[in-house]
Amino acid sequence: MNTILLNRGVIVYLSSEIVLWGIFAIAFVVMISILYGWDFDKYTQKQYILQKRAWLTVTILSFVSIFKFLLLPYFVYTIDTLKDIVPGAMCAAGVISANSYGLKLLLLKILILFGFTLWIILNRYDLNAKNYPLFKIKSWFFILLFVALTVELWLDIKYFLHIDINIPVSCCSALFGQLEGANPLPFGLNTNTMLLLFYILYMLSMLLLFSSEAWLILIVIPLFGVISYYSVVYFFGTYIYELPTHKCPFCMLQKDYYYIGYLIWSSLFGAVYLSLSGAILQLLTKSNSKNLYQWSMKLFTLFVAVCSLYIITYYIRSGVLL
Amino acid sequence: MQNRLFLNYLLISLLKERSRHIGVVLLSLLLIFLLSSVLFISTSIQTTIQNAIKSEPDFVIQRVKGGLMVPLPLSWIDDIEDIRGISTIQPRVWGRYTTASSEPETMLIVGIDPLDPQSNRAFSKIMNQTDIKSFLDGNNMIVGSDIAKWMDMHYAKKSYRFLSLGGEFISVNRFATLPKSSNLISGDMVIVPLELAQKILNYDTQNVTDIILNVPNHAEWSNLKSKLEELHYDIRVVSKQDSIKAYKQMFDYKGGFFLALFMIVLLAFAMILYQRYTQVLSTEKKQIGILRALGWSVQDVLRLKMYETVIVIIFSYILAVTLAYIYVFIAHAPLLQQIFLGTDGYSGNTEWIPVINLPTLMSILLLYAVPYFSAVIIPVWRIAVTDPKEAML
Repeated sequence: MNTILLNRGVIVYLSSEIVLWGIFAIAFVVMISILYGWDFDKYTQKQYILQKRAWLTVTILSFVSIFKFLLLPYFVYTIDTLKDIVPGAMCAAGVISANSYGLKLLLLKILILFGFTLWIILNRYDLNAKNYPLFKIKSWFFILLFVALTVELWLDIKYFLHIDINIPVSCCSALFGQLEGANPLPFGLNTNTMLLLFYILYMLSMLLLFSSEAWLILIVIPLFGVISYYSVVYFFGTYIYELPTHKCPFCMLQKDYYYIGYLIWSSLFGAVYLSLSGAILQLLTKSNSKNLYQWSMKLFTLFVAVCSLYIITYYIRSGVLL
Repeated sequence: MQNRLFLNYLLISLLKERSRHIGVVLLSLLLIFLLSSVLFISTSIQTTIQNAIKSEPDFVIQRVKGGLMVPLPLSWIDDIEDIRGISTIQPRVWGRYTTASSEPETMLIVGIDPLDPQSNRAFSKIMNQTDIKSFLDGNNMIVGSDIAKWMDMHYAKKSYRFLSLGGEFISVNRFATLPKSSNLISGDMVIVPLELAQKILNYDTQNVTDIILNVPNHAEWSNLKSKLEELHYDIRVVSKQDSIKAYKQMFDYKGGFFLALFMIVLLAFAMILYQRYTQVLSTEKKQIGILRALGWSVQDVLRLKMYETVIVIIFSYILAVTLAYIYVFIAHAPLLQQIFLGTDGYSGNTEWIPVINLPTLMSILLLYAVPYFSAVIIPVWRIAVTDPKEAML
């Protein structure tokens, strides 16, 4: 038996995932039956029962989403503790790339959390509107979420079963750092142009969020998210680690850096989730998502401020830039 | 509905109906208490051992014959000294000594060379506090607190006469006692000068048990290990990282086994909860009917019942974790301690180092709250969507 499966974090994580999937599967079956006969304009007994059942799906999804949001940092932390067992790994980057399932799993998790955010926001609007205008959309979306959750569980199990503790993995500096002169940045950018783009996109995002331009938000915010990811890994990270060659998105989640990575990544993802969900809601319902935009503006600003502060304090303390 | 009024109603109804929740709370308390005590103890042991390992030497060189450890000649040190990158090399003599009496006591004799720069960082802490010159002056020993207690009981308050494995009696003065806080590791330790240890354990003067060495540059560890292994055919090189990994795997195994068994308990717990909630809630039908008749929506009732569950969970969680903390770190975990450390050859005077970290607390919460919610979600929904008319019947 694989010794990884006896690690405390892995046991708690996997069992929670399985239980949550099980309860979600119940909601899925109920949801299928609802979708089959749903017609809000009818005044039949059946429609009445279906409306009652819809409450079960809403309750289960809210419950599952709360724990899913707790489980992502727990998952990352668990991966981080496995570095003592997996040879060669010095942070979660090595463990996550121990087999081909790891990175797909992490990416899917981030997408699923976005799905949950969007669903909860659509659902809140739907319930307040009293005549369920978004019911069909959110139900199909629910089914999509279930499919994603099923794939996630399959990847979870595959991933943990296939970590071989006898085969050395790469360290983060081998995965992200020296690439023999190859430029790791997208669109052929170099560090200066990337930084320029980062701050310009930040200003642009703020403007768009302030003026609620839903279509442009849907285009610009994902771009800003991608540029932010690369900026943190290849530029801001080096100031967090105070080492120009240390480029890793995972090491900053460790105790040595005061767990700052959790704040940085959660503020970035939170802001992206909220702004995109707000834009989609605005496009679907022509309603006003000002509140969501304001929250995402606050989170974006927090993210940019934390990143920039690392550079400013480094410059003040040492008088030079890396 | 106004939030303040809602919360007010929630609290009042919870307090009024507290007898309904008491069974569930007591059961939860018991479960989380057991789970968190075990997790606290294992986290604490892991931290103690990890701290101890940190002060261990980077490499230990042993000689093996047929898989068993045998004494190695001091001349090996000369071979090792030629390798670049090694900062300190030190021979060690240690072994088990069992007293001849009706209730034999086993102690760990550790010989050290007090004049050498102390390679082993843990010893150096103790050695700085003791007067080295007077320690070397004559036959002296520093004993662990368990051994000190045993010697006090056996009329050896000043000195103890060892019967060496060679057959002669050696009288050794008690010089100092190790602090109790390091008891988990050094409780049965007896520290003596190197030559004395060789005498007690009947070693040749040219032989030692093993050699320890430090390599300051961590990047060189794997490289150095292969160089050391090339020196002799019967050499065994144990690195610090190997032992960290081995300990980690051992604790993962123990803890994982416990958790796997605990899952079954949790399953039973979830089933009891499902039954209990179905039962209790059906008696509340009338109350819900009245609320619905007063204009509450299904959403409000669902929220009321979910909040009730959340409060019960948080209340039992905080109370049980606090109780477990008191039990483990203030009362030193009576009964459970024996399970973890065993009873033989161990006095049971361990003080657990208090370690509370977020992941442990999070693991406890996940293990408890996820099955709890999953079990009660369907009964809660069923009661919330009951028709007011039907409920009033």
